[in-house]
Amino acid sequence: MKTGKPPMKAIEVEHLSKVYPGGIKAVDDISFDVEEGEVWGFLGPNGAGKTTTIRMIITLGLPTSGSIKVFGIDVSRDSARVRSMLGYVPQAVSVDGDLTAYENLLIFSKLFDVKKADRPDRIKEALDYMGLSERADDLVKHFSGGMMRRLEIAESLVNRPKILFLDEPSIGLDPASRLKTWGYIKKLNSEYGVTIFITTHDMEEADELCDRLAIMNQGKIAVSGAPEDLKRSIGGDLVTVKTSARPPSTVPADLGTVTEVEDYSLKILTANGEAALPQIIDYLRNQGVAIKGISLSTPSLDDVFMKYTSAGRDTRGSFRETREARKAFERRAR
Amino acid sequence: MASATKFVSSALTIAEMEARKIRHDSSELWMRAIQPALWLVVFGSALTELRSSQLTEGNFTYLQFMSAGIIAQSVLFVAILYGVRLIWERDMGMLTKLLSTPAPRASVVVGKTLASSVRGIFMAIVVLGLTLVLGINLRLDPLDVLGVFSVVILFAMAFTAFSMTLSAFLGTQSRMMAFGQALTMPLFFASNAIYPISLMPRWLQYVSEVNPLSYVVDAMRSMILTGVYTQVPLDIAAIGVFTLLMMVSASLVLRKLVQ
Repeated sequence: MKTGKPPMKAIEVEHLSKVYPGGIKAVDDISFDVEEGEVWGFLGPNGAGKTTTIRMIITLGLPTSGSIKVFGIDVSRDSARVRSMLGYVPQAVSVDGDLTAYENLLIFSKLFDVKKADRPDRIKEALDYMGLSERADDLVKHFSGGMMRRLEIAESLVNRPKILFLDEPSIGLDPASRLKTWGYIKKLNSEYGVTIFITTHDMEEADELCDRLAIMNQGKIAVSGAPEDLKRSIGGDLVTVKTSARPPSTVPADLGTVTEVEDYSLKILTANGEAALPQIIDYLRNQGVAIKGISLSTPSLDDVFMKYTSAGRDTRGSFRETREARKAFERRAR
Repeated sequence: MASATKFVSSALTIAEMEARKIRHDSSELWMRAIQPALWLVVFGSALTELRSSQLTEGNFTYLQFMSAGIIAQSVLFVAILYGVRLIWERDMGMLTKLLSTPAPRASVVVGKTLASSVRGIFMAIVVLGLTLVLGINLRLDPLDVLGVFSVVILFAMAFTAFSMTLSAFLGTQSRMMAFGQALTMPLFFASNAIYPISLMPRWLQYVSEVNPLSYVVDAMRSMILTGVYTQVPLDIAAIGVFTLLMMVSASLVLRKLVQ
């Protein structure tokens, strides 16, 4: 007999579709699961249907057909209960510039029913953790973009949602703030156990943060899986060896396949480059070939993205989405 | 029961949020007070020498007569442009965020309209203060003033909700601004705010009969000027029904704004 519950799915989406008036299929029969405790990424070009999907999950848009469950609760049955479990950080700036940092946290902790006794400690802790304590009583409109993002994440620390939705979390941030934001997102996931759902078209971000991801294209999920698996799926790693003499033209099959041999160089395609690298070095040394240099290149998520989306051929995106993203950028950039 | 508590606490929290913003920066409200001040000081003073029982429906000066109308007008202007602010919040992402909280949608409408009524009360206090400065003789006993405030609250909530409803259909700040401004003058002139309904041609009288502003002005004028309360229950009932209708319609279409 089994003991304990099976692991809970944070999100179960089945045959979800959204058709806008005029027959435009923004989301076309997609299904996916997000496991509790993972960082799930939703990738795709502008207009692929990512934001539409998120809006349906957070109960701001009604599906045309299909079902969505958040921690086992059907969003169409009990939308208020679903909203009580989730946090949402939209692409645009969602903290209120006309309130102080402290007030932003206070108001939203009340709306999320954080117990009155818990509020002061949690708010103080979140402000400390995010390095915002000194600016707690300043109006948020005087904050930099990075600080606003930190405040938005601080809100999640106070409200402790079971799942946090981040729409383009690092859009418009400078490289340093972007790195910091990534760090906080990881901590939120590992230390507070928050399941994270992010959308992005920044492949580096997806690679850095996501346990698993799905790439959406024209309303459908083109491919999904762990970033490493996806990269491997479009071919292995490429090991390039520079030698001082003509290298052998074949290597044992378990090291990979030779794709190119020149007088002083050798290219080997291998399933897992990091594991194969020392073996290739050993093999060549045993063959008496002196190595002058060696490099490893991996197909990046960019390559995966380009393969599975129409982004390379077609860069249409909705006007609204572009406008919102730019607005967010302008506000943050101040 | 639990959901009723949640509803009230959400609405109050949202109202608190707006009240805190007013506390941080009330300059907008002071600027909005300029217009009613000009109506009283310039328009009212010019006409007040004109003694006509026809114009003021009684033995009052014109300034006495128009005071209630100017309170209503100042509140109307604040409330009817609320949609511009709401669309701005939508564009910035704040509204989406608010609607993704567990707060029931109708409580968002109640909270925001309550906050707007705080602005309305501010305007009423400013106008009443001005009438004291200008030496306009009104019946300002506490109960009457409280009565005026209650009417202002209902009225501000109604037109704020009306504006929220409109904004869901108009969708952009500039359209909302244009439409809101286009609406205020007809509402104002087709009411008893600055002249009595009896002076109007017949067709305009019909219009003013269905204009909520007429009921608001009539109720307030009864309280601070004539002291004749016979029409007040009807006035308040009419405003109450209108407020309720507007709140329901705003709650129903609010989600349209973020889709």
